[in-house]
Amino acid sequence: MYLNIDSIKDQTYDAIVIGSGISGGWAAKELTEKGLRVLMLEKGHKLDHVTDYEYAMKDPWQTKYNGRLTEEQKESHPKLARDYPYNEMTQNYWMKDTDSNYKEVKRFDWYRPNIVGGKSIMWGRQSYRLSDIDFGANAREGIAVDWPIRYKDVAPWYSYVEKFAGISGEKLNLPQLPDSEFLPPMEMYCVEKEVRKRIEKNFPGRTMTIGRVANLSKAAQAQMGVGRASCQYRNKCSLGCPYGAYFSTQSCTLPPAAKTGRLTLRPDSVVTEVMYDENKKRATGVRIVDAVTMQPKEYYASIIFVCGSTLGSTAVLLNSKSNRFPNGLGNDSEQLGHNLMDHHFRIGASGDWEGDLDKYYIGRRANGIYVPRYRNIGNDKRDYLRGFGYQGGGSRQGWQRNIAEMSFGADYKDELTKPGPWTMGLGGFGETLPYYENRMYLDKNEKDKWGMPLVVFDAELKENEKKMRIDMMNDAKEMLESSGVKNVKAYDRGSYLGMAIHEMGTARMGRDPKTSVLNGNNQLHAVKNVFVTDGACMVSASCVNPSLTYMALTARAADFAVKEMKRKSI
Amino acid sequence: MQRREALQQAALMMGAMLSAPTLAGAMGRVTNTGPSVAVSPDQEALLAEVADVIIPTTSTPGAKAAGAEKFIVRVIRDCYPKADQEKFYAGLAKLDADSKTKFGKGFAALENAQKIDMVKHAMTEDKPFFLRMKELTTTGYFTSEIGATKALEYLPVPGQFNGCMPMKPGQKAWAL
Repeated sequence: MYLNIDSIKDQTYDAIVIGSGISGGWAAKELTEKGLRVLMLEKGHKLDHVTDYEYAMKDPWQTKYNGRLTEEQKESHPKLARDYPYNEMTQNYWMKDTDSNYKEVKRFDWYRPNIVGGKSIMWGRQSYRLSDIDFGANAREGIAVDWPIRYKDVAPWYSYVEKFAGISGEKLNLPQLPDSEFLPPMEMYCVEKEVRKRIEKNFPGRTMTIGRVANLSKAAQAQMGVGRASCQYRNKCSLGCPYGAYFSTQSCTLPPAAKTGRLTLRPDSVVTEVMYDENKKRATGVRIVDAVTMQPKEYYASIIFVCGSTLGSTAVLLNSKSNRFPNGLGNDSEQLGHNLMDHHFRIGASGDWEGDLDKYYIGRRANGIYVPRYRNIGNDKRDYLRGFGYQGGGSRQGWQRNIAEMSFGADYKDELTKPGPWTMGLGGFGETLPYYENRMYLDKNEKDKWGMPLVVFDAELKENEKKMRIDMMNDAKEMLESSGVKNVKAYDRGSYLGMAIHEMGTARMGRDPKTSVLNGNNQLHAVKNVFVTDGACMVSASCVNPSLTYMALTARAADFAVKEMKRKSI
Repeated sequence: MQRREALQQAALMMGAMLSAPTLAGAMGRVTNTGPSVAVSPDQEALLAEVADVIIPTTSTPGAKAAGAEKFIVRVIRDCYPKADQEKFYAGLAKLDADSKTKFGKGFAALENAQKIDMVKHAMTEDKPFFLRMKELTTTGYFTSEIGATKALEYLPVPGQFNGCMPMKPGQKAWAL
């Protein structure tokens, strides 16, 4: 028991948004702009736009280790240190494993940010629409449950968020990869232009385009209006962009939300549960623990948007227990935590491009190429379901080459000061099916520093993904070789769930409350004033990067929620 | 809109944002790797000499002028387990001892050709030491201010992207 010094009134808002990442930022923007007083709760520490991007403007000689991790960091982040996103320059952006550990029945790589803005700061920015081939896949193939929505339901919302966020790309008119509202596409390297031509010639039905990316190739009025400038081609996006040139909460959705005067952002707020009133049959607010003072606190609101990332949101719902919901808020279907998906990747091929030694480039393009899915499209039929796309690109090697060779001295130095040879690579991103048995759940005994039960992962890639990976590797090699790339080497570095940081699906949408957690408006079937609009809602994974879909679904759900509030339905 | 203007505008917009006071103080830290191997000024100077053979002064300054040894000392001290640190400095000591055996002088006092001889010797005698030394020298050099701006072409804020253009004669590789 503790005493609140604030009155309940001071702790009451029209809406609470849990999380400040890509989904939370959109929820805050839409709800405040529609007139609601919003409290946004973020587990991580504050990260002010521009001024708190500590490494963004540093020269390499101003870093201590040129990105390497120290032994101490490997100890405080033993799981996070397994892969590249956690490094010297982004160290303050990620959660310490030792503050909030998790358990792995099977290996799972969980990337948890520890900042306002969440992963919108460090994300890869690749932005693609899902298509009706994706939305209809489960129903067509009898997998899991059907999406309760189709492309036409989301298309206007894709347009809406794209115009504001700013997505650069090229129109292709493909049924499997609908075009966005594009800013001008970034240019391809000479090698990429040539490989594209050859792929299109050698493999009818396949193409290669420049990546569709949430960087402002040319800032439009909508973006300049919130203080954003065009991309400066520094390729330091994940450190935070002082120009606001890529989509992040800080650059894009927070400024308009703050401008309404109706947003309160509270960092260091670890939401532990959503409170439920059994008489009113609705959620009343949330309990948090202050991450710094460790004090618990309660906040109240008419509607709650749960946008704490797929796994964070699901953990909060699972931890929100009541007589009505003994297994987690809105979990009548017992699906909460199940159907965990990610993309599988780290497989493909790369090789040498012997031409274009008289060609160079200026600027560092924070983007690569994209080969849209072509497997199981049209008349193509494989021995697995769904498909994959490729990301990759050309590059001209720099001073990092030849480090492992037995050479040194003046010739070695001289060689490295000149541009090296070109290379070209393709890396697959494959769809993972939703399996009920792939799941996360809460540990019954152990809790983290803030009293949240530890999350346990028990999920793996299965036969369908393994069969698909054979194509992902062989097709990459075949396309590169037939395009004239030399010394092509195929690789499979192994992919564990979580590594692609596209985790999704643990509170899926659906038509039937008996088999799904959310309805077609991202609303808990059983608790109408709670919405979950991050990756937890996904019913299938598609093979495209998912964040753009979370933006569109969040804006759509916010619109629905406010209309329902006005109609007094919630 | 000019870049500077955009920056100012962005900063102004964010000034309006409410945020609770924050940032946890540095948390108590526990390490189980033990203290790092202590490095003497002599060892650091010796590293600079070896680095300068791997990346010598040519038309542009070399590794020693760029202070690459400071990067090497820092990375070995903070980014490697103690056992690896000890192996690395044992490799360095061996190079110096072998110089004395072969030429009657420590590495730092050798003629340039003799130094090159000794680094070649280390290449076969202690390949792991050579490769680590080479890797850290190369990274330390090309990410130093001298390496990045003099040996390479350094353009921190390109402001444009052209992916397919003719290469200028004498073009140096981009530092970034």
